[in-house]
Amino acid sequence: MLRLASGHGYMLPLREGRRQAASEAMAPRHTASEDAMERAPAAANPDELRPVFEAEHISKSFGGTQALSDVSLTLYPGEIHALLGENGAGKSTLIKIMTGLQQPDAGELRIAGEDVRINSSQDAQRLGVAAIYQEPMIFPDLSVAENIFIGHTDRGAIVDRRAMERDARATLDRLGVSLDVGEPARGLTLAEQQTVEIAKAISLDVRVLIMDEPTASLSAHEVRQLFRIVTNLRQQGVAVCFISHRMEEVFEIADRVTILRDGRWISTQPRAEVTVASAIHGMVGREVVELFKRNRHEPGPVRLSVKNLHREGVFDGITFDLRAGEVLGFAGLVGARRTDVGLALFGIAPADAGEVELEGRDVHIENPRQAMELGIAYSTEDRRQLGLIMPMTIAENISLPSLPRFLGPGGFIDFAEEVSTAERFRKRLAIRSNSVETPAGSLSGGNQQKVLISKWLETNPKVLIVDEPTRGIDVGAKVEVHQLIDDLAAEGMAVIIISSDLPEVLAMSDRILVMREGRQMAIFAHGEATQEKVLSAAMGQSGDLFPDGSAAAAVAAELDRLVQGKGLEAGQ
Amino acid sequence: MGRLLKRLRSWEGLLLVILLVVLAYNILRVPNFLTITNQINLFQLGIEKAIVVLVMAFIIINGEIDLSVASMMGLAAAIVAVLYQNGTPMPLAILAALAVGAAFGLMNGYFVAKLGITSLAVTLAGYIGFRGLARMLVEDNSVGDFPEWFNRLGQQGLIGPVTLSILIYIVLAIVAALVLNRTGFGRTTYVVGNSAKVARFSGVSVERNKMILFTLSGFIAALAGVLYAARLGAVRSSTAEGFELDIITVVLLGGVSIFGGVGTMLGVLLSTYLVLNLRNGLVIAGVTGNTQTGIIGLLLILSVLLPNMAAAARSRLKRRSESAAATRAPTGAGSGAGTATG
Amino acid sequence: MMDSLLRRIRPEQFREVILALVTLGVLLFFASQIPDYFNGRSVNRLTMGMAIPLTVAVGQVLVVLTRNIDLSVSSIVGLAAYATGTLLARNNDLNPFLAILFAIALGLILGALNGLLVAYGNVPSIIATLGTLALYRVALVEFSGAKTVTTSELPAWLDDVPGANVFSAGAYDLRVMFAAALVVVILGQLVLRYLPFGRRLYAIGSNPDAARFAGLPVRRDVLLAFTLCGGLSGLAGFMFLVRFGNITVTAAQGLELQVVAAVVVGGVSILGGSGSMIGALLGVLLIEVLQTSLLRWQGMSEFVKDAILGLLILIAVTADAVILGRLREMWVRVRRRDQEAARAAAGEGAIGG
Repeated sequence: MLRLASGHGYMLPLREGRRQAASEAMAPRHTASEDAMERAPAAANPDELRPVFEAEHISKSFGGTQALSDVSLTLYPGEIHALLGENGAGKSTLIKIMTGLQQPDAGELRIAGEDVRINSSQDAQRLGVAAIYQEPMIFPDLSVAENIFIGHTDRGAIVDRRAMERDARATLDRLGVSLDVGEPARGLTLAEQQTVEIAKAISLDVRVLIMDEPTASLSAHEVRQLFRIVTNLRQQGVAVCFISHRMEEVFEIADRVTILRDGRWISTQPRAEVTVASAIHGMVGREVVELFKRNRHEPGPVRLSVKNLHREGVFDGITFDLRAGEVLGFAGLVGARRTDVGLALFGIAPADAGEVELEGRDVHIENPRQAMELGIAYSTEDRRQLGLIMPMTIAENISLPSLPRFLGPGGFIDFAEEVSTAERFRKRLAIRSNSVETPAGSLSGGNQQKVLISKWLETNPKVLIVDEPTRGIDVGAKVEVHQLIDDLAAEGMAVIIISSDLPEVLAMSDRILVMREGRQMAIFAHGEATQEKVLSAAMGQSGDLFPDGSAAAAVAAELDRLVQGKGLEAGQ
Repeated sequence: MGRLLKRLRSWEGLLLVILLVVLAYNILRVPNFLTITNQINLFQLGIEKAIVVLVMAFIIINGEIDLSVASMMGLAAAIVAVLYQNGTPMPLAILAALAVGAAFGLMNGYFVAKLGITSLAVTLAGYIGFRGLARMLVEDNSVGDFPEWFNRLGQQGLIGPVTLSILIYIVLAIVAALVLNRTGFGRTTYVVGNSAKVARFSGVSVERNKMILFTLSGFIAALAGVLYAARLGAVRSSTAEGFELDIITVVLLGGVSIFGGVGTMLGVLLSTYLVLNLRNGLVIAGVTGNTQTGIIGLLLILSVLLPNMAAAARSRLKRRSESAAATRAPTGAGSGAGTATG
Repeated sequence: MMDSLLRRIRPEQFREVILALVTLGVLLFFASQIPDYFNGRSVNRLTMGMAIPLTVAVGQVLVVLTRNIDLSVSSIVGLAAYATGTLLARNNDLNPFLAILFAIALGLILGALNGLLVAYGNVPSIIATLGTLALYRVALVEFSGAKTVTTSELPAWLDDVPGANVFSAGAYDLRVMFAAALVVVILGQLVLRYLPFGRRLYAIGSNPDAARFAGLPVRRDVLLAFTLCGGLSGLAGFMFLVRFGNITVTAAQGLELQVVAAVVVGGVSILGGSGSMIGALLGVLLIEVLQTSLLRWQGMSEFVKDAILGLLILIAVTADAVILGRLREMWVRVRRRDQEAARAAAGEGAIGG
């Protein structure tokens, strides 16, 4: 059914594929010898060929959405296994299942050949599976050494600080880093905190270390340091499951690459058999069904003009014009900082520098109220935490930002007006609920999204920023939201749509701004944008992380070519 | 009928049932319990606390707490007493006490809203500090000798048997119910208590809401303190000591969640009446004041503990039925790895 | 200047250093105002006054470190004092150590009840202990029938304890009760520093989510902290009996505030995770010095005490939230800069390799 099968690595039935991959896995690791970094020789131990971790036929669904469907993953000792996929491909769910935070609906987990159930993070810890996240789970008031050993129960009845610090130092030495182990963790950089977490994991005899985008907020120097640590771990026989959106990193460090897409397993291949183009194609190569057909029309005059928008340490150099009746897509992967640009324009986390013009007037946006008065609305990606008040009614949620407008003399709320306004939106957006006086929390995700957008439409914005407007909602509601955005644009509203759903951005946008790591990489017009081009622009590494002539540098060059739209055929 | 049942199953319904039981006890034990005079006496005994309960409900719905109210009551009473004793005209003394209440309330609000310090810590300082100021003013004396009209205002009926305090309470209760249910300010209070984050992302000024509430809390507590002084006719440094426990208990018992965002004025008014009746019943049954406070303390714990335990039991049941469902579900549902890729 | 200071001391240690300096300043101030300030009798009275709040404060620190609070301590002290007094009044020959054990055991049980409510009943500690503050007091009222334990009913040996010395140097005595409180402080500090349980208390208050995530026994430890706090309050109850002899139903009322104030002033963060027994010791000392000195200072009313205490708490929590936050930022910045400098000096390749 999937078109990319032909000539695309191997597309054998899964079991065979895995076995073959297993036998090949050990070999290609040494072939990539042009690395700048030392590569560990694999211990010639036959035991190593037995997988340390196997997840087989894992399926998991949340409500109506199938997050994982029959996905398998095998990890061998001493391998670095990259997991690739777009946002929402199912990587996080797979990790949560591996670490016991969630239980699969179906499928089996095996550790060193034995069937296991992982019901909690303690179970995972006991079985030697640990995960490092972007945001480390650190105890700021405890010292580095204590952070490493706080979970240990076998270190005697009395804390031997000296022994603990010595062991901590030894553990850190194993990783090839030096930190002041007596210092409280509060003062550590994010990278150092991550290192402490890795040390904590290996102090507990970790066999499988999952790293979920560990490099997302690290500097180039810190990434190199982290890679040195990871290669050290591989040498010591740890299986590392490495998730990154940066292609250079994946090609620099991984032994094997597994690609997921839309909750399904696509391929598992030795790194040497993967090309940048084939990987990107694997990630986006879904059957292109035009989800939604926009009524394209000529946009009006420039409504919002942004020049060199900058927020220290977050994003930089964001420059674009947004016209009346235009839909501008913001594409990028996790950590691209698209949402931060939205938050800056809405005044939640204002920009430090740069110019913003609204209808030709210079404006400075310091807080949300100001943004709303200027006619900028921001519909958040996080409906639950930031968007709606779930126990409150639909009507109460819709009137919230424009509450002053519903107040009569003495500050009394005009309930009739509030309800009739909500009713209007219920009809216009087809919010499926018996009454606008039911709690927002009782609605389905799609209908909640419609309430969220209604709440902002009621403020009559000139510029509407919608962040992930269709995340986690069903297909029917998705089409309705798309139709709504199209209608709004037709009525002359300027819309920014921030979305991780590539087909959605492609279908909905008149132009697409691609970001990565806080920088604006490209703006494509509707006609010239393809999934491959956008993803290539979004996945590169910024800065000169790796020296010229390395594999990574070649990857970077290839990504550049792909952004230009050349070399796509090479992957097919 | 179904609606009535639903109503009864709510917290307010539960309160109503308990209230009826206690009320029945009181009616059976006390002849003419339900006469106006008896009812007014009942309210008069706890009227100052009942007044502060109204504003405390707002504070807790907003997601904060104010431990300093009772000390503020004592301080306001002390200010009135000492200023008058030193020759200040009574109306001016009252104004001064109210102004001090509002000012200290504003200060509490500033530390909570602007500096982001937890209200527990800030108002704990006020709890000790305001009481300390009262102690500075009256030391270990009992300051009284108020003008005749002031005492009368506190003790005797203004309109028929209805005292000024009860009149103020009725007005404030109506205002509080209206503000909480029907105005933008009340709505904002709920919104902030439910999620300060959503409020911020909707352009609502969280800080302003909290500042106003704490200022009001100080002001109303001071007012209640002045009324208390008028009723007692004399002020000591320990006046109104320990009242915060009663006040907070009544609010929580009224169904207001300690975590904010949930609660109704109806529930709070019901629980106020319930606690007044309960105290009355306990007096009839010969239970001393100190023990009454203990029983209120027990109620306070239970009003949080029982809903928690119920919620825990529900989620445990749910988990059990879920895991049962999971084991029943066929494993290896998708057998089509090969077909999907091949 | 600030930078070089920050290189040497951590922000957390600042608190205790500043507090020590403030206490010293206050002592010197009163010494200049009050003739013969440091005479033996006054100093002995000061240390005697510290014994009870100090013992309770050690328990309170355990609880506050976990991001909780125990307001019921004063009722536990009162109840333990009364119950032990009654016990001794009825059995004059009871072994003194059994009496002490009885007071502690009673405290442990009451503390455990608090802990169960908080850790397993999910009742916020402020609510739970505000409730038990009233409940335990009622237990005392009901149990006593509003009668008083009087010194004359108690065994004679109790009279000797308050004046008993471990040793004395000139007019200065080290009284047994104060020595016991000091031992409790030292033991408490050792528990915090050297027992895994103590370190976990910091972890739990520091980042409760991470603590749960790391598989730490959060509930059990919180329960234990409350239980120990109750036990120490029971011990303090025995001290109360020894010191005052006459025990009424209002015994130790208001002590909970003095203790919480001392702990907060002593730099133990009300949000948990940081602080030490030494800080609590300094907090108790400062408050006790203010309390006793104001009594002796001419032209100053003793009634200012609580007002100053309130102000001190406000300053302490504000300093904790605002000033310490700034200091921490500065500290991190200075360290960062030094690291960058070291990195630049050593050349890229040498770092961490």
